[in-house]
Amino acid sequence: MPDADLDNVVNSLLGAAFGSSGERCMALSVAVAVGDEIADKMVAGIKEGMKTMKVGAFSDESNHFGPLITAEHKAKVEGYIDSAKSQGATIVVDGRNPEVPQEFADGFYMGGTLIDHVTPEMTSYQEEIFGPVLQVVRVKTMQEAMQLINNHIYGNGTCIYTRDGEAARYFADNIPVGMVGINIPLPVPVAYHSFGGWKQSAFGDLGTYGPDGVRFYTRRKTVTQRWPTSEVREGAVFSMPTLG
Amino acid sequence: MTQTIGHYINGQIIEDTARTQNVFNPSTGEVSAQVALASKKTVEEAIAAAEAAFPAWRNTPPAKRARIMFRYKELLEQNRDKICQLIGSEHGKIVHDAAGELQRGIENVEFACGAPNALKGEYSKNVGPDIDSWSDFQPLGVVAGITPFNFPAMVPLWMFPLAIVCGNTFVLKPSERDPSTPLFLAQLLKEAGLPDGVLNVVNGDKEAVDTLLTDSRVQAVSFVGSTRLPAIFTLRPRPTANAVKPWAARKTMPS
Repeated sequence: MPDADLDNVVNSLLGAAFGSSGERCMALSVAVAVGDEIADKMVAGIKEGMKTMKVGAFSDESNHFGPLITAEHKAKVEGYIDSAKSQGATIVVDGRNPEVPQEFADGFYMGGTLIDHVTPEMTSYQEEIFGPVLQVVRVKTMQEAMQLINNHIYGNGTCIYTRDGEAARYFADNIPVGMVGINIPLPVPVAYHSFGGWKQSAFGDLGTYGPDGVRFYTRRKTVTQRWPTSEVREGAVFSMPTLG
Repeated sequence: MTQTIGHYINGQIIEDTARTQNVFNPSTGEVSAQVALASKKTVEEAIAAAEAAFPAWRNTPPAKRARIMFRYKELLEQNRDKICQLIGSEHGKIVHDAAGELQRGIENVEFACGAPNALKGEYSKNVGPDIDSWSDFQPLGVVAGITPFNFPAMVPLWMFPLAIVCGNTFVLKPSERDPSTPLFLAQLLKEAGLPDGVLNVVNGDKEAVDTLLTDSRVQAVSFVGSTRLPAIFTLRPRPTANAVKPWAARKTMPS
């Protein structure tokens, strides 16, 4: 939102888009900016922040994120960058072929990639990239932003960044998504709530773990018992019993 | 010759190495091990082990089941460094990120420690003259979990601690990309006191998944992974309709 705390937005997006190389189902892969003014500032801030990002081997704690899972997956993620470019998006930062020490030269590394001016018609918007790629979609109003989410087939997680409590409350209450963050990236519920997306992000009636997990892994059985006192005996009842 | 990672059935590591697949260290691109891909027969052995363990486990008081989870939480914390190394070496995520994932998993073990409270049921006295009624929450039997590569510790920990503490026995089919972490998690639960057969792990591919989905002894399957897979779950009819053992529930989440 135009009134969001920009530093908080930039830091949140860096971590949520590129952490774990974007290989999280709750990875923040698309940032929707409401208004060009915040969009320009946000893209500039992320681009600046990305300069200090370090990709490398898992064992070096100073690295921010590691390689992708396989060479095949890396090639697939790289392909999304080409498709976005050919479909008219702007590649602000191209993270392909990052520099890594010689001993890790054959690892499956990709640096962070930032793509601006992405639209819902693009392949990279419609499909799950599952890599360190952050896309920016520009809209004019909050309603337009919410409509984008309404129109998508998935509904796992979403976040809003704003200082406006009314907007945040309206968004959280009305957006058709299972897990919502307000000024929080990656709103994965804690273990005593339950994880669950909406729409085509989940199948089945219950979420995973927490109270829904207990219900999933058990079946309810209800027992009704009578231990009549010795002098009370009931005759045959042919109407639907009311236990009265 | 690299190591071959097998399965964990009835408290033992089982080699079923007729078919194997490379496991990579994504940080170097090198093949670090081979993972065995379970045959239908091996998966059926795991289901049989879980089925055999169920009656005694079902009748173990929830508080005793939970006590194992309390010990398990401590063991997970004590083995944090080792688990994070295992995650990093096969998944590639940085050790600090792996520690966050593990912590999220441990929180699910903490929730499982509260099983006696979660399972205590509902009771109504005098729903009619001399009539009382209650609901309790019974375990399903053998249940299965299929988990993705991206959280080799956290997502299995979303599933088996809670399923087991509720009185079920479990067959886990983790991702074949990073199989060492879930295998170690299962062995650690034995160390915490879990009886053999209550938790089994089969590594594998479509053959293992198909077996878990079609075997009538499996009462429920919890799946987290790519949304390309759910078509298998939703389109496949239950082959053996059994009135007393319904296909209890199916669900899936993109990971």
